Amino acid sequence: MQDVLFYIFAALTLVCGFLVVANPFTRNPVTSAMFLVLTIMSMAGLFVLLEAFFLAAVQVLVYAGAVIVLFLFVIMVLDLQVEERRKYPRSAMLSGGIVAAALLSVMLAAMRELPGTTDGPALEGSTAALGGLLFRHYLLPFEMVSVLLLTAMVGVILLSKRKLK
Amino acid sequence: MKGLELIGLEIAVIAAGIAILLLDLWTAKEDKRRLGYAAALLVGVIFLASFAMLFEGRQEAFHGMYVLDEFALFFKRFFLIAALLVLLISVEFADRFESGVAEYYAITLFALAGMMFAASANDFTLLFVSIELVAVCFYVLVSFQRQRDRSLEAGVKYLITGALSGGFLVYGIALIYGTAGTLNFRELASLGPEVLESRLLLLGLLFVFVGLGFKIAVVPFQIWVPDVYQGAPVPTTAFLAAGSKGAGVVLLARLLYTGLRPIADRWGPVLVMLAMLTILYGGLCAIPQRNFRRLMGYSSIVNAGFILLALAAGTADGLAATLFYLAAYLYGVMGAFVVLCLARCPGQEDETCVLAGLHHRSPLLAATLTLAMVSLAGIPPAAGFFGKFQVFKAVIGQGAAFPYPAWALGVAVFGAVVSLYFYLNVVRTVFWSSTSESVAPIRISHATRWAVYLVIFAILWLGILPGAILNLAEYAVHSMGL
Repeated sequence: MQDVLFYIFAALTLVCGFLVVANPFTRNPVTSAMFLVLTIMSMAGLFVLLEAFFLAAVQVLVYAGAVIVLFLFVIMVLDLQVEERRKYPRSAMLSGGIVAAALLSVMLAAMRELPGTTDGPALEGSTAALGGLLFRHYLLPFEMVSVLLLTAMVGVILLSKRKLK
Repeated sequence: MKGLELIGLEIAVIAAGIAILLLDLWTAKEDKRRLGYAAALLVGVIFLASFAMLFEGRQEAFHGMYVLDEFALFFKRFFLIAALLVLLISVEFADRFESGVAEYYAITLFALAGMMFAASANDFTLLFVSIELVAVCFYVLVSFQRQRDRSLEAGVKYLITGALSGGFLVYGIALIYGTAGTLNFRELASLGPEVLESRLLLLGLLFVFVGLGFKIAVVPFQIWVPDVYQGAPVPTTAFLAAGSKGAGVVLLARLLYTGLRPIADRWGPVLVMLAMLTILYGGLCAIPQRNFRRLMGYSSIVNAGFILLALAAGTADGLAATLFYLAAYLYGVMGAFVVLCLARCPGQEDETCVLAGLHHRSPLLAATLTLAMVSLAGIPPAAGFFGKFQVFKAVIGQGAAFPYPAWALGVAVFGAVVSLYFYLNVVRTVFWSSTSESVAPIRISHATRWAVYLVIFAILWLGILPGAILNLAEYAVHSMGL
């Protein structure tokens, strides 16, 4: 049962992720954003299968909820008509395709020769376990992220405030 | 709490950054640029404090994630000196920002903190977080002059390429973790060859190269360099060229020389290939450049190639050469950018007028720029000569064990000769180009004058008496157990 669910969610993630960047039917950015929601939802499903319930919930609340709403705001505020009509040069498409194909072939070659089973990390998805890890083992990176967020806030205010003086 | 005393320097830098942000509130508008002197002073004090740190060998903290040894301290001092000079330059530059001068200093300090954490990172988590901290700071610093289109364009380009490389980096880390089951470099080294040689781990390593190569400006991850160097504010460019590159180098060195040392024969050839490509690309593209900042961008690419060549040796000599080369490169770059910042011509975007006839406007700056160019070109008695010499020595010292030794040496010699041409071309423009207008002498403030003296002194000292820094570099390398 779990295996079947894994394949369903994984396939959904891949298909929707592809449709975010390259939808053959429409170039509408709102459609892309909606497919991004679906991608994130199916990734949340994968997290549930890993018994990481907290991460799954955060994935839905933060990404599918807050971040996508922000994306949609930006899309609607900006006028993207020009972007929609723009044609990509053939050479760019071709070189991008070659790079993607090369990357895919290297990855497939790597997959064929998987190392022997290492002991995977113990699955503990409870909020308490995650909090313990964050505040004990990963305390230093966690606190550094707070400096990162402070910088990001200061930077965003500086770059986006209306009056420079 | 254990470990808190080890990260004292970083905490001091972050506290200084927050203090500058707060001081901004009580500072009159016309005094704001002076906060840069306060920031520089704090950085100087922290630099001196780094020598006073009680130190008994290698110490680890935070579950082996953070390591403090002489190698880390060497790089921390490197970053502190770079930030000190950058802050002094940015005080001169401050009147070209329309607002947010104090924030510019504060974000520079936060970037410095990220680099100093990178110097001690012994774990992929810390590697990623510190590199992202540096990156986020630079996204802001690059686009700081938002009234200028060029600065914004540079910011957008840096953001997009940086985010892409960050994606590769985190993907690579995931692949390595999935194969090895650990994020710690030291634990990685203790795994058997069947894990370290597995294709999936090597693929992950390749992706990590993408992320770090972007920082170091290695071909083929260099495409952003000329545009960003040209568009960003001058102090940011200087910090990007010295600090951000240094952060990439220290992370790569720590990862390769502790975690992946058992498979040196796997990553060595890749590094040599990339180094040769980088030197060729940077050298050939620099020749037709007429804009000084774009030229510095390509020069940064060439230097990245030499650094990579030294790293590829996989020996203690190679690593020591890397450290010395970076130190010499730092002063060369800073010498160039301090001149670029001071010698401006109002109302002109283009920098060609900066160089022409500079020796009429300020003999001191002309001499500094000449010395910096001579050093970067690798002509004795400047620091750069000895740096290049060390790299060649490390490559030759390896003998046949070095991957493709003949090719690598040939390309390195070619790169050195080509760079001779374009660096000396700059010197020619300074002294022998005909100029008619703008011969007003340049006023240099006291603090900046001292920064200029420091750069001149350091270039000559490292070039004529390299022993002290070389000993320090070798000592740092030995502290890693090589």
